[in-house]
Amino acid sequence: MDTYDEKPEDRPGDSDAPVSRLPAGVARDERENPQADDVAPAPGPAAAAPGEAGKAADAAGESGPASTGAGGDTGAPGPAAAAPGEAGKAVDAAGESGPVSGGAGGDTGAPGPDGARPDETGEVARLMERGGPVPEAMDPHGPPPAPVADPGGVIPVAPRRGMAALSLRYQIAAALALAVVAVAACVHVGMVFLHVAPSNTLTKKHGRAIDDWIYPEFEQNWKLFAPNPLQQNIDVQVRAEVLTADGGVRTTGWYDLSALDGAAIHGNPLPSHSQQNELRRAWDFYLGAHDTANRPSGLRGALSEDYLRRLVVMRLGREHALGRGDSFARVQVRSSTTNVPPPRWSDEKVSRTPVYRELPWWSVPESERSGVNA
Amino acid sequence: MSRFALAVSRGIGRVTETALGPYQTAVVRIGFAGTWLLFLLREFPHRQEMYGPDAPWSLDMARQLVAGNHAFTVLTWSGSQVWFGTVYVFALLSSALLLVGWRTRTMSVLFMIGVLSLQNRSVFVGDGGDNVIHLMAIYLVFTRCGQVWSLDERRARRARAARARGEFPAPDRAGPVLWCAVGLALAVVTGAGFLGVGWVVLFWVLWAVHGLWWYVGRRAPHSQPRILLDVVANAVHNAALFVIMAEACLIYSTAGWYKIQGSRWQDGTAVYYPLHLDYFTPWPALSDLMSSYGVIVLLVTYGTVAVQVAFPFTLLNRRAKNVLLAAMMTEHAVIAVVLGLPFFSLAMIAADAVFLPTSFLRRVGAEAGRVRGRFVRGGLARLALPGPRKEAPPTAEETAEHTPAGSRA
Repeated sequence: MDTYDEKPEDRPGDSDAPVSRLPAGVARDERENPQADDVAPAPGPAAAAPGEAGKAADAAGESGPASTGAGGDTGAPGPAAAAPGEAGKAVDAAGESGPVSGGAGGDTGAPGPDGARPDETGEVARLMERGGPVPEAMDPHGPPPAPVADPGGVIPVAPRRGMAALSLRYQIAAALALAVVAVAACVHVGMVFLHVAPSNTLTKKHGRAIDDWIYPEFEQNWKLFAPNPLQQNIDVQVRAEVLTADGGVRTTGWYDLSALDGAAIHGNPLPSHSQQNELRRAWDFYLGAHDTANRPSGLRGALSEDYLRRLVVMRLGREHALGRGDSFARVQVRSSTTNVPPPRWSDEKVSRTPVYRELPWWSVPESERSGVNA
Repeated sequence: MSRFALAVSRGIGRVTETALGPYQTAVVRIGFAGTWLLFLLREFPHRQEMYGPDAPWSLDMARQLVAGNHAFTVLTWSGSQVWFGTVYVFALLSSALLLVGWRTRTMSVLFMIGVLSLQNRSVFVGDGGDNVIHLMAIYLVFTRCGQVWSLDERRARRARAARARGEFPAPDRAGPVLWCAVGLALAVVTGAGFLGVGWVVLFWVLWAVHGLWWYVGRRAPHSQPRILLDVVANAVHNAALFVIMAEACLIYSTAGWYKIQGSRWQDGTAVYYPLHLDYFTPWPALSDLMSSYGVIVLLVTYGTVAVQVAFPFTLLNRRAKNVLLAAMMTEHAVIAVVLGLPFFSLAMIAADAVFLPTSFLRRVGAEAGRVRGRFVRGGLARLALPGPRKEAPPTAEETAEHTPAGSRA
């Protein structure tokens, strides 16, 4: 469905797709030179907030899981002071290689003030790169709309939490919940993977189950400018047969609506979807729902025709194609495809002559004769 | 074997006792809510053309499509301008409130409703940016994304500080009122039969859990049921965070691996072409300049593929990951300008942000606090976002409302 892919239709299961909220050719892939380090969390001046574990680790060059290890091991609940900072320095001195804590501290210790905490085993935890358990998690405040609890009591500094704090009965309930959540997350990721993967043994066999899971809300397509970027400019053009006020008929010239979109985008730092996506994707939608002889396929075929017609009628109205008392009788849409000239260092030759695809005249229904006003 | 068992039990302890990545989930929340908010503001003049009842993609067509695929949207419930205007404003407000973290749990659900309603109403005006916002809006519902940098966090901190001073914090009124209002609205919608069974169940379950959480937290804040709720909430949060990270990896993997198969990505000219598509050249002179040197285009083309394919694997190495992360964010910033895709780029940067290191995020938070402290004094400061909080026992400084919170962290 993506115009900016060279082979737009090879998405597995696309034809079955009940809907297409497709990320049409949105560009995303050009890469600047990896000027990474400018933006990277480059070690800043270790100035602020002395003794703050995260910062200390930063100063250490942000290298490894080290920063997460610093500070929390001791479980000292005291205010962040020298200790974590020193830990950071130690890391620094140690040449910033590897995880520092190694989980020695165990997670029973109260989290350090900065939330720094030994990087335990879990990869997930590692990936999350947190500086440590966030004290916030302790507080009874969370999902609910009205979380502030117990007006009388003082929340202990380190209340018991997690599975360990539960009695056996509750542990069983928690374990069940945990299992359900873990399975659901893994299944979901698996399904999304199969949805975005090329057609393969599994998707051929279980395509239906995957689609049932994914559609409609998890549909996605990330073939951004892939496998090849589009190498043509496709202009959607339209002309109309107008019934004039004096009873005559006149045919307008071709309006290049895509060129008008392009002009609206020029010099515009914030192009609107109505300029950048609307017509372009309406045309994609039409192409995807019709064969090369312009025969529609199913509901989508009919819808795409109505959509394109309403859209071009609206746009013609904006371009003042109608005079006073005039009305639209029929409209005709065509596309003009022009190759992007190859780069000047290339010796490829491509034709610069536009290729047209002309659709049949469509009659404009009564309700749209005087235009579509949105 | 026993070492394995120990590792597993530690892992379980870890994912049940804390909601990991508080800064990362907060920045993802702020990023997506902000992107959607800016998008809605920018498209305000075009809202009728894109989503209105008389849009070229008419309401009737949307209803036919939705009837077939069962996508969620409240906009098909009525064709009136009043309803459309209400939903648009609702989407604006919910994203603004999610951004500042006011009643984060509830707002994340309302935010999702706003995003899905508008996007599913007109599926043919979106692009990849809308797609990633759509997915993340759903995932955010399951994360405890208001643990830091939110008004919720500030309210909890103040209540704690008040208790530490021996005062009784004022009882929370907005929460129960909001909960009741949402329940009422849900009852009406359920009664009217607008929603499919699946959505009805999901929304009622979320609503019931919010109520249960409030009730248990109030009646028995340290009881077993309360801890169980916390354990489950943490597990769900961590699972959702995992899904968000996996989703980001899948985006890059898909984009990268499919490119490898393309002849233009192989011959090193791919990047040249989008820079010459009329729909993606807001600044033609800049595009020409950027695509005028063959070797540079080659390097950028190869670099793009390499980075996209490599990114998921670099998660195993913190430094390599950070370098690639910075490269990708830079790339998106460039794309925002050069290809004229600001909201797409913003959304992708928000998704990338889930991989930012905590230390970096805290520094940004502190810096934001300082900047705010410098420029916003007086009444406005009370409305601004608090910075990260530390878990030292509340002190006088902690309770001083006018201190820019960020500078303390």
